[in-house]
Amino acid sequence: MAIECSYYLEPVDTTDLPRRFLEAFAAILTHSNYAMALDAASRVSARCGRCASTCPVYQASNDPRDIPCLRSELVLNVYRRYFTPGGALSTRLGSGFEIDEAYINTMAEELYRCTACRRCKLECPMGIDHGLITHLGRWLLAEVGIVPKALRVATREQLEGKTNNTSAIPAAALIDTCEFLEEDCVDLHGFKIHFPIDQEDAEYIFFPAVSDYLLEPDTLMGNAAVMTATNASWTIGTRYFDGINYGLFYSDRMLDRIVNMEVEELKRLKARTVLIGECGHASRSAKAFIRTFCGGNQAPEVINCMEYALRMVNEGRLELRKGAIDARVTYHDPCNIARTGWIIEQPREILRHIATDFVDMTPHGRENYCCGGGGGTVSIDEIRSFRTGVGGRTKAEQIRRTGATILVSPCANCKKQLREVCEDNDLEHVQVVGLHDLILKAIVPPAEMRVEKQPDPESEPAGS
Amino acid sequence: MDTWIELARGPLFRIALAALLIGLAYRLGSAASQVILAWRRAGDRQLPLRSVVTATLSWLLPVRLLRQRPLYGIASLLFHVSIIALPLFLAGHVVLVQPSLPFAWPRLPGGVADTLSVVAFLALGAVLVGRLAVRTARVLTRFQDVAVLALLLFLVGFGFLAAHPALSPFPARTMLLLHILAGDLALALTPVTKIAHCIVYPFTQLIFELAWHFPADSGRHVVTALGKEGEPV
Repeated sequence: MAIECSYYLEPVDTTDLPRRFLEAFAAILTHSNYAMALDAASRVSARCGRCASTCPVYQASNDPRDIPCLRSELVLNVYRRYFTPGGALSTRLGSGFEIDEAYINTMAEELYRCTACRRCKLECPMGIDHGLITHLGRWLLAEVGIVPKALRVATREQLEGKTNNTSAIPAAALIDTCEFLEEDCVDLHGFKIHFPIDQEDAEYIFFPAVSDYLLEPDTLMGNAAVMTATNASWTIGTRYFDGINYGLFYSDRMLDRIVNMEVEELKRLKARTVLIGECGHASRSAKAFIRTFCGGNQAPEVINCMEYALRMVNEGRLELRKGAIDARVTYHDPCNIARTGWIIEQPREILRHIATDFVDMTPHGRENYCCGGGGGTVSIDEIRSFRTGVGGRTKAEQIRRTGATILVSPCANCKKQLREVCEDNDLEHVQVVGLHDLILKAIVPPAEMRVEKQPDPESEPAGS
Repeated sequence: MDTWIELARGPLFRIALAALLIGLAYRLGSAASQVILAWRRAGDRQLPLRSVVTATLSWLLPVRLLRQRPLYGIASLLFHVSIIALPLFLAGHVVLVQPSLPFAWPRLPGGVADTLSVVAFLALGAVLVGRLAVRTARVLTRFQDVAVLALLLFLVGFGFLAAHPALSPFPARTMLLLHILAGDLALALTPVTKIAHCIVYPFTQLIFELAWHFPADSGRHVVTALGKEGEPV
């Protein structure tokens, strides 16, 4: 039997698959804290269904497979059966189930229908975090070779490839891109920005989602404009410059290795603070797990670029033109930075200042709806119709109700997903941008950044 | 009949109470020791305790539920208050234990106890109907979800009829026996069913927060345990 899912896989060795799955489960339980959570979930789950009422995927699909509580049961069934005395007893009595390839196949499909947005956590009266259980389930699958090909190939390039980043951008191309953006900013906006490369002893080392270098020039120019205008001590390392961390979506082992690469680059350049660009999962990976995997209280501090920008505004070091954006603007909260309440008001404070007509979606902030591409699913192109038609349908309706023509989404993954959601849900008139794209338009550059435009000889009047 | 009643509220009650106390002590000890072990193993021991406590309290006093679904929230609150207050403070229960207590145990006035009994019965019935009528809840329903609700319904119903023989179509002593037996069963089953949340609940928000605080070397140990050293991504 082959493992078949709606997403592409690299070939999976199905020899002794259930046994290998259980061995991985046993190893992970032994060396992690997951057993505690699985015990609690098994003990207190009320099966009330409140999680279903808040899950955007279930709301759109109405498919019981998408009820978070039932999805968690896929993992909990195996745990109870093979790793608790009660499960062993029920098997002896003839009522236990046996894991087989078909069961693993079901897990492979269903655990990747979840966007890992963790909205269901807010609604569970017992506090069960189905996102955590899905996270564990995906790691278990990964240990037997079941990972969406898109995630695995990108992570392989990041950890073992020549370029050490998920978009396979060589360092030379990174430098060229930065120089190009510096020139482009002068041409388009009339002021100078600077991307310091491999500067030692900087305060901040910058890790955006590396795809921004290919797809989001305005976001990056906005980032550089803020840093240049505030005379920040910052740098981009050429050995490692990718904030993306798909480990968060499928393997704690990869999560560990990737955040360690960030910290190694910080140490190489003797920087002090990790500055993450506009990316929800990159921010959460660094903020939550650099401390975990890189020294606890000794680990470097992590901040997100929006926190930095607001701090600079409040300190009077960054001037933004009030009302610079006159279209209706709304804001999408990336789940990975909003669910815990970390970054909710910071971008809104900036938007209320620079936009004349800012409207929020309902609900928003900590209770926001996922874009539909969370949990790494946005990178799986072959499931686009599911992402935009099911996972992102609630978000599409939220956007429509605001009447906004500009949707600010400070996350590389959310931006890609939301552009596709808008395309597939008759919202083509909505422009999806990053916060720093708008900051770029609103910034009042200090005098030393401004460039006086040289008169164009060809446009001078004849005979003058 | 009286012999059966004595058996139910004597030896059987003591067995059920012992099962309850031992079971809950085990659950409590197990949860606490897991939390301590997990915290000691965590690579990042800094926990957002304020949000953990807030989340725990917000469901203990279901502020969120009352705000979003006021009717359901009020029903849930009244049900929980009733089901805790009735066994502990009902006059008919207190007289059984008062002789062995050195202080006066508080008792609910008869009218309040009757009202709470009716409220608990109606709320339990509503939850049972809701579970079976709403598709999402029905899909999730296990045997124990219906069995526990039915047991509590019988427990409250039999108790009310035993206390009000004039309203009961059945002999009061029979109702009393069934009430005591249902109570014994509920006590004994508490640690092994979802009612265990009465003791584990204060830990659940902490447990799920702490579970995200992985041991710093968990991945490397898993690699070693599975013999995957040097294996490519």
